[in-house]
Amino acid sequence: MHKRGEWFSLEQFAPAGSLSTLGVGSKAMRDPDEELVRRVGGGDKRAAAELVRRHLPRMVGLARRMLGDHAEAEDVAQEVFLRVWKHAGAWQPGKAKFETWMHRVAMNLCLDRLRRNGRQGGEVSPETPDGRASATRALDDRQRRERVRDALQSLPERQRAALVLCYYQDRSNIEAADILGVSVDALESLLSRARRTLKSALSAERADLLSGLETS
Amino acid sequence: MNEARFVELLGAYGAELARWPDGDRSEAEAFLEIAPHRIKDIWESERAFDHLLALEKDMPASISLETRVLARSYERRIVRRPISGMGAWRVSQWWAGGALAASLALGFAVGYVGEPAAPVDADYAKMLTVSGGGAGAIFITAMNDPER
Repeated sequence: MHKRGEWFSLEQFAPAGSLSTLGVGSKAMRDPDEELVRRVGGGDKRAAAELVRRHLPRMVGLARRMLGDHAEAEDVAQEVFLRVWKHAGAWQPGKAKFETWMHRVAMNLCLDRLRRNGRQGGEVSPETPDGRASATRALDDRQRRERVRDALQSLPERQRAALVLCYYQDRSNIEAADILGVSVDALESLLSRARRTLKSALSAERADLLSGLETS
Repeated sequence: MNEARFVELLGAYGAELARWPDGDRSEAEAFLEIAPHRIKDIWESERAFDHLLALEKDMPASISLETRVLARSYERRIVRRPISGMGAWRVSQWWAGGALAASLALGFAVGYVGEPAAPVDADYAKMLTVSGGGAGAIFITAMNDPER
């Protein structure tokens, strides 16, 4: 039974190993970037600026959440766009959405950096990030954001990648699974574990984190 | 959609049904309408957690980063233009044309200067007339060289 002041534990409702294939309808939609990419490939500077305006913040956001470092995230975003400039002329519409391709490139660059630097994410302590006991005071949004950011960084990289793609980057389950090279079932499992792990990491501060938080 | 399935998807995708798989979304909405309170409590708890996650927002990219990224796109074009597509074809045409013209000019000049004094074969003479000397003349001179 749920008690106030605790996150719900969903395992009690969802049988272990019962994750099933998600019935996702096919989306035969036109790639919204197709025309823009074609123009970029033809050397159109305005199109290049529009593509940057449209996608740069999301690429930086993805990399920042994966790497936990803004400067490094900007480096990754630049690297993604270098590849865009290189490949735009040869882009063939219809195989994958251009934005999905950009996400895959960005995610691979992040995972490469994490592995190269030996940063895998890791054990998540249920304590507050700096080890202090939870104080009984309401946190402001900046403090809450920092707590969430720290907790995200402590997730194992695959769980973090799944959550970042589906939650923050708004990728569909099929797109996210494709980007990570896993099945939709495996993606769903990663997402469930990520949310569970985050709740555990933030549980000590749950009351403070939610106090005064606008949820409407 | 049953209770177990609903909670399973809730645990993966959170309370915002717009994030749920297309094929499950409408059934989930219908299920939530008539779900018992304990399920709605779980959904509310996940919703609060979603709001907490949402505090970690995207920030707008800095102008300097946009400028750097776009500058690299122009750099690539400046480097790439001479070697790509029609540009590459035009450059190679210029080189080939220039080399041919230089070769012909050199041939004519050397041919006229080095016109052989020795009698030449009638066929070669005809060739010389047609070609006007030049490279053909050099060849005939060599062929008529008594020391050859």
